[in-house]
Amino acid sequence: MKPVLLLAAMMLIVCFRGVGQQFLTENGRVEFLSQAPLNEFTGKSANLNGLIDLEKNVLDFYVDLNTLETGIGLRDRHMRENYLETKKYPYAEFTGKINAPPSLSTGQTASVIAKGKFKIHGIEKEIEVPGKLTQLKDGEMQLDASFTVLLGDYKIDIPKVVFYELAEEQVVTIQAILKAKK
Amino acid sequence: MISHAQLERKPAVEEREVDLIFHAPRHINLLTVEPLDKKTLHFAIMHTFGTIDGGIQNLYGLDNGATIQFSFEYALNSNFSLGAARQSRDKMYTLYGRYHLLKQTEDNSMPVSVSLMGAAGINTSDYGFLQEANPSAADRSSFVGQLMIARKFTDKISLQASPMLAYFVNPNPVFLIEGRENLYLAVGFSGKYKLSGKSSLTLQWIPNLNNDLKNNVGVGIDLEAGGHVFQLYFVTSQALNEQYLLAGGNGVPGEGFRLGFNVNRVFATGR
Repeated sequence: MKPVLLLAAMMLIVCFRGVGQQFLTENGRVEFLSQAPLNEFTGKSANLNGLIDLEKNVLDFYVDLNTLETGIGLRDRHMRENYLETKKYPYAEFTGKINAPPSLSTGQTASVIAKGKFKIHGIEKEIEVPGKLTQLKDGEMQLDASFTVLLGDYKIDIPKVVFYELAEEQVVTIQAILKAKK
Repeated sequence: MISHAQLERKPAVEEREVDLIFHAPRHINLLTVEPLDKKTLHFAIMHTFGTIDGGIQNLYGLDNGATIQFSFEYALNSNFSLGAARQSRDKMYTLYGRYHLLKQTEDNSMPVSVSLMGAAGINTSDYGFLQEANPSAADRSSFVGQLMIARKFTDKISLQASPMLAYFVNPNPVFLIEGRENLYLAVGFSGKYKLSGKSSLTLQWIPNLNNDLKNNVGVGIDLEAGGHVFQLYFVTSQALNEQYLLAGGNGVPGEGFRLGFNVNRVFATGR
């Protein structure tokens, strides 16, 4: 390799390292809350995978819906097989941008709004999610966000006979600690 | 546009166990390989009515009163559960255990689910009207063992074969069974064909292997409704526990059919 090219390559690498302000997680927490007249329950997963790139302004999150647990195994199976149909649609995904990417120093928190595409049960919708980003320390960030999902919007049917057990409106809460990509 | 920046979607678990080979641990009258999760309690209330051939005059058998079985099964862990059932016919109390040896996986690295079941029961009817002495506790006892082998072939079709044996210490003619032998061998077949997300057509056939009793035939529908599984069916026997299913005798499919229904519910405990 010619020295000029080598230099160019090195500059590129340095450049990308500088730009690559990527924060990642593989064990973020997702929780949904269903509040129906006769039954309130939550489903939880600690398998949220996420990427926040503040320089390129990219947010990308997904969770394997098979990892959601409500505390009752049979209910989980019914949820996977009949409502979320995880064999066909295994993931819930969000890909989008932050309205104004903050630049934070340690200990600071910023309220942000993420805009993008949320996909579940094979259906994609534009949504806006308000959240909070906190710089915990150098190279470590915490994301807290919450939004509601109307099951009907994603063609997840609730049979009439169970409306009292499963709420149409599900409150989804996300908490993840993301670490800078090395 | 931004796809190159996206994370690669990866499943959290590679060898996932297959979900819901059957809708519930019960399927018409037979037990299934469907496991319970640790510390959950499964409750089933099961009924069969009189034969439907009395027509509307007897409301298709509902006037004749029901045989009822209450069944409770508690999972000590995700592979082993203990149950107790009480059948109104001959006031039978049965204690049983169910152990899941193998579980079918999505990637077919394990093609079938296999479970074992063993039970001991006692008839607590009062036979004070008899000339001879009331049968002893030993004479009232009966036992069951079965191996359940099941596979979910497609999203719609699941089948289970259950080689079974039942043993009556003393098959007293006063008991409400038709057989007079001590030992009964049979194979239970259970089938499920999914009609929609929450309902399935169900089948049951229990050919006897060592006696001339008519075989048990059942056909029905399973309906899932918010944590409950309702099972409605036509079946040829009033029997609800395994011993009586094998020794109890059956009507002729068609004219000897009875209506039956089960309600299944699972409760989480210890949370």
